[in-house]
This record gives sequence, structure tokens and C-alpha cells, in this order.
Amino acid sequence: MNLIQLRRQSWNLAIILLAAILGFWRVSQLPQFGAYEARTFVLGILPIALLSMGQAIIIIGGGINLAIGAEAVLINCLSAKYMQDTSFTKSLLLAIVFIFVGVLIGALTGWIISVSKIADIVVTLATSFLLVGVAMFVMPQPGGGINQTLADLISGKVPNFIPPLICLILPLLLIWIPLYRSKMGVAMYAIGSSKDAAFLSGVNVNMTRIKLYAFGGLFAGLSGLVLTGITLSSSPFANISNTATLNSVAGAVLGGVALSGGVGGLVGPALAALVLYFIPTILLAYGIDPSYSQIITGALTIVVVLLGGLLRKRTVSK
Amino acid sequence: MAASTSLLNIQGLEKAYGPVTALKNANFQVAAGEIHALLGANGAGKSTLVKILTGVISGDSGTISLHGKEITFSSPDNARQNGIAPVFQDPALIPDISIQRNLALTSTNEKRFISEISAMGLAVNLNEIAANIELPLLRMIDLARALSHDPELLILDEITAALPIDLSEKVIAIMNAQKQKGKSVVFISHRLAEIEEICDRATVLRDGINVDTFVASQGSEERIVSAMLGDKNRGNSAVTNKGNSNSNNETFLQVKAISGGKHLKDLSFEVKKGEVLGVAALEGQGQDLLFEILAGQSKAESGEIFVNDKKAVFSHPSDAIGLGISFVPGDRKSALMPQRSIRENLALTRFRGISKWGVINSKDEQSRVDDAVASLQIDTRASSQVKRLSGGNQQKVTIGRWVTTGFDLLLCFDPTRGIDVGTKQQIYELLRGFADQGKSVLLFTSELREIQLVCDRAIVIYEGKVQASLAIEKCTEENLLNAAHGILVEK
Repeated sequence: MNLIQLRRQSWNLAIILLAAILGFWRVSQLPQFGAYEARTFVLGILPIALLSMGQAIIIIGGGINLAIGAEAVLINCLSAKYMQDTSFTKSLLLAIVFIFVGVLIGALTGWIISVSKIADIVVTLATSFLLVGVAMFVMPQPGGGINQTLADLISGKVPNFIPPLICLILPLLLIWIPLYRSKMGVAMYAIGSSKDAAFLSGVNVNMTRIKLYAFGGLFAGLSGLVLTGITLSSSPFANISNTATLNSVAGAVLGGVALSGGVGGLVGPALAALVLYFIPTILLAYGIDPSYSQIITGALTIVVVLLGGLLRKRTVSK
Repeated sequence: MAASTSLLNIQGLEKAYGPVTALKNANFQVAAGEIHALLGANGAGKSTLVKILTGVISGDSGTISLHGKEITFSSPDNARQNGIAPVFQDPALIPDISIQRNLALTSTNEKRFISEISAMGLAVNLNEIAANIELPLLRMIDLARALSHDPELLILDEITAALPIDLSEKVIAIMNAQKQKGKSVVFISHRLAEIEEICDRATVLRDGINVDTFVASQGSEERIVSAMLGDKNRGNSAVTNKGNSNSNNETFLQVKAISGGKHLKDLSFEVKKGEVLGVAALEGQGQDLLFEILAGQSKAESGEIFVNDKKAVFSHPSDAIGLGISFVPGDRKSALMPQRSIRENLALTRFRGISKWGVINSKDEQSRVDDAVASLQIDTRASSQVKRLSGGNQQKVTIGRWVTTGFDLLLCFDPTRGIDVGTKQQIYELLRGFADQGKSVLLFTSELREIQLVCDRAIVIYEGKVQASLAIEKCTEENLLNAAHGILVEK
């Protein structure tokens, strides 16, 4: 790794350090630390980490998806409704179908934005209402289920923490790395960085945007499915979708993705989810009011982004 | 030239943007193995023609034939595949990704690119992010990338405008090499001397029509200018700069032993009231930092600045503006609010005369803005959004806002870069007019002949110091170039 690459990784290194410090802190609060506790950590961050990664892809490409939480909630409801009391094979097949539904919703969103030329933020705000509505139609009350074998494959039998860890890492290895290396990956950074220059370089901007949102939908689908695997049910609530969306943006930004587009990766957002998970749990263990922990999380996000911004400014001006 | 040797043949091309006609019945032929200059004032349809030719937009009517076959380009990628490679005025490299990934985006062969760039005598770290690379090198990278695709037709849009002299010469050598290989080059430049020197033929566009095509040779400058400006402005082309006999005038600004950045070392000079002082330098001699320091945007590491014999410390651009020093930056885009109207852009700096919570007197604002628009001859057809103005008119707006505010010293950093001859002329007259009113102008220009056209005196910066301070009679291009290369010049 040469100096330039190291400099580019500085944000990731910083977020690893922050996550490690908070991790040790949290572990030191626990009477003991073993597989069970590790599993709790991973399960605590898995859905939101996947959602942050999906959001990160879209933000890198110069967009933002305010409906990503709603997409996850919808897939959560669909899967919990139709997978209840099914065989493993049927659950697995349904899982694949519902992830594909996530991709389709994403692609459709990207297509609407490209054709209508309306700002991403407006279109996705509208689709977020729409998707939560559909989710409530699918599951009027919390409930549903999933085949237990599939659920164990996602969340692991207590205290096995390996399956959820694989669920976290596998998308990075199988989706993100090939995407980053592909021409589509370059095009995605290109349109986020400078739409005009990308066009002049021969990038099909609209097509790239549609694919971008499709990948976002893929991660939202995974997130929703994982949620079903962990909770063994679904919760069709707008506030869950809103919180998830905002956390996905916070995770992406904290993970080094610039809201202006063209900068960042997916490893940072995955780690940022860990940071966002540790802070409230650490404070809760001290008996601090959850409202205060909200304030501290917010303040920390500002500080990290500020420091990161300064760091980035310095490397650019050099 | 015979049609059989014609590589590119454009006939009757038309394009309108709403009510504004950019091209009407334009014809343009490029032969194989020639360097062809495409010229025209701002708004003449040059960039529209280039955009159609490179697949960025499509024409309303007319035909484009390549090798005698009719063709339409659906996208920049499609044009590239057909052997047409452009290097645009703004580098088309993506700022936030590495050069390597930029090459991947256009399916450029990396080895080929490296051999092209090293043939230019340059070295590039492929892992470097494009935004971290200086503009001149970025343009050379853009050029090397275009060459890597072995284009039949290379289109260079104002490439030499932002390049230092040594790199300009390299570009010219590359153009000649392409010609030797039987490939063609379309060269767009506002530097007429360059065109005479290297181009075989020139086509001039005016109001969307090709008005003249002729063999470019020594002395065609006049023909070019008159074709560009049309009949109404004929005879207006040559500037007569008498200069002011102001050796007795008071000093407005004194710079004493300024150092800073990588380049500026003990730089001292002074600007008198009522003079236009020219600054000449090769690229990267610290001139940009000098202007930023004087404008209060950057801080000097050491040295002092005196305004009207009083020591001045600038910690913010408003300090400099408060002392009457106004800055017209080289990058027009950074000075303007592109989505706002001409009026708002002109009035922006007027806020300094108004108390903090004061209400803007819109009548007064309107009348001052109207005066500025009239005195600068700004084309107001697209007055609602400055981004829709041509480059020359945008530059007039950046200068014009200081006219509405009032100033004592105007810092102009390469104000005529990428501007057509007619508008350049108006800017020269404007700057001279300021000097006649007793105001001062500090003018950096990368086009050396401008110094003799507008300045009263010039300093040449070399390795961070004033290498020469020349009276106007001595400011020949040769003298300035020598001094800029560090060669001693007699005063």
C-alpha cells in the first residue's frame, strides 16, 4: 500500500480505531465476554449496517434514498407474512424472490428520478410514504414468522455468532468488491463526482443511476430479510422506517461517504453502524437517560464529520 | 481541397436552443492530415459545433459525414469509437477518483496512456486522485488519454489557454506529429499568433454561420479579426495603447519582501495611482498566491503590504475590499453565482456600503446596475441566469460588480482567458478607462502580448522574485519571455 492509498484509507483507519475503543469500553462494562455477547453485538448492528451500505452506494453516486428504510420494512413485512410456517426450501426461494423485489423497487425509484428529472430527495420522500403504506397493507399488525432453519442460518443458534458475521461480511466480499472493481463501479463514482465530466467520458448517467438505486434496493432487501431472521416477525411502522433511513444516512456519513457524492466506500459505513450501536448501549449501562445518549450520539457525529472534513480538506489542498 | 481527401464534412448544420439560434446553416470541412483552426467570437456557435461533433448534443438538421459516410453521434463514447477524440476546455476527468479509474471509465489502454504521457516527458502517478493534480498537468493527462485512442480527428478546445509556455510547445509538437501520421486536428484557440504558426487552414464562425475559410499564414490575423467581428466593428481591432505618463504619480500599493508558499521569496514592487501594472510569469511562479495575498484570501509568511503608505493587514477578503482592493479571479465560476441573475451578481459586492441590518435600496441598486451593464456592454439576452451567458459576458459581470461598488485597485488574474477577440478588446478598453480615472489595475496575463496592449509598466516574476521591471516600450514578447525564463533583460 503506497502513501496515497494509505491517505485515502485514513478515514477507515480512524473509524476502526473509534469502533475498537468503544468496543473495549463496552466489553469492560460486561461481567464476561464470550460468543453470546459477540452475537448480541453483531445482531444489534446487522440490519442497520446493511442499510447503511445500501445508502452509501446511492450517496456515492450523487443521490440519496429517503425510502431505503421503508424498502427494508416492506421486505420485512412481505417475508414475515409469506414465510410463516413454510419449509426451508420454500422460505429460501421466497427470500430470493423478496430480495429481487427490493432490487426492483430500487431500480424503479432510480428510473423515476432519471425520467422525471425531479430531485432524488423529493422522489424518495414520496416513495417512502408509498412503501410504508404498502407494508401496512401487507401486515396490518406486527406478526408473521420465518422457517427456523433459515432464521438460524441468518442469526445463528445461540450462542453461535458466526452466521450473522458472515451475513455482514459476505455482501462486502461478494457484492461490494466486484462492484467497486467493475466499470459500473467507476461510473458510479464518476456520476457522483461530476455528472457532466462523467457524461463526456462516455458514462450513461441515467442507466448508472438506475443500477445504483437497484444496488441500494438489494441491500435494503437483505436488511429487511435479516430483520425477519433476527426478530422472527415483522413490524409495519412508519417510525421504524424513518429512524432506519436517518440512521442509514448517519452511518454512511460517519463512515466517510461525502454527501456531495463521489467519495467513500462501504467498509466505513459498516463500521460506523458499530459505533452508532455502541454509544447508546455504553451510556445505557451507566444508567444515563436515553435522551442524553441521543444528544451525545448527535454531537459525536458532528465532531467526527467535522474532523473528517478537515482531514479531507488538508489532503486536497496539498 | 478536393472532397476525396476530406475526412470530415459538415453541411448545413443547424441547432437552436429555444428561441436562441446557435447554429444556422454551418458548413465545415476538415481534410485528412491537416491542422484546422476553428475560430469565432463568443456565442458564434463554436462550442455548439464542437458539442455536436463530439456527440454531447445532437443537431436539429444538417449532415455530418466522416470518410464520406453520413453519420450521427449518439454519445461522446460513440464519437470516440468513430475516431473523434476531444479535449475539452474543462478537463473531462472525474475529480474524486484516481487517474487509473478515470482511464478505466473510457476503456483507455493503461500501457498506451503511459507511453503517451512519457513521450510528453511527463510522469503521472496513476493512483493519484484527479482533484489533487494541478490543472496544466490534468489537461496534458486528458490529452494523453485522447491520444491513447489513436483518434482520426483530435479536437483541442482552448487547450493552450491554461498551459505554461513549455507545455504549450509540447502540445504544438503533438499536433504536428498527428499531422505527420496523416491524422487531423481541429484546434480552437484565441491566440491568433499560435494559429498562424501551426494551422494549415482556419474557419471562422459568426452568428452560427461559417463566414470564412482560408489558408492560415502570416498576416492573416487581420482577416481573422474582421471575419469574427463582422463589418460593424471593422477597424476596431488594433489597440492603440499610449500609456499614461504617470511617473510622478503617488504610490497606491507597496509590497515589501513578501514570501509565502513554495514560490514567493522576498517579492517587492509597487503600484502607482492611475496605472495598469502588468505581471508576467511562467506557470507556477507564485503569481496566483500573490494575487490571493493581495486580495486577503491567503496570508503571506513574511513581508509587509502598505496601502496609501499605511501598513495593511488582511485577515479576510473584506479587509482588502474595505481598503479599495478588488479581486477578479482567474476562475470566473468561483466568482459568480451561476443560477442568479446579472443584477444580483452585479449587486452582490454592493452590500459593503450598506449597514449590517440595513434595507437594500432597490431603486439605487437598479440604477447602478443599469449603469454597469451599459458601460460594460453586457449582452443581457440571458439576464435571468448568469450561467447562461457566454464566457466573455460572464467575465464582464465579474469586473462589472466592482464598477458598481467602486474600487481603487483592481486585481485582474488572467481576465481574458478563453474570451473572444472582440470582448478582449472591450476589456482592454475598460481597464485603460480605469487608469484614466486615476484608479490602479494589477493585471496578470498568460498572453504576453496583452501587456503591451494595456499596461503602463510590467514586472516579470521568476522564482518568486521580480526578475525585471520594464517600461512599456521594453515589454516586447521576446523581452518578457526572456525575463520569465530568468534571463536578464536590459531595462
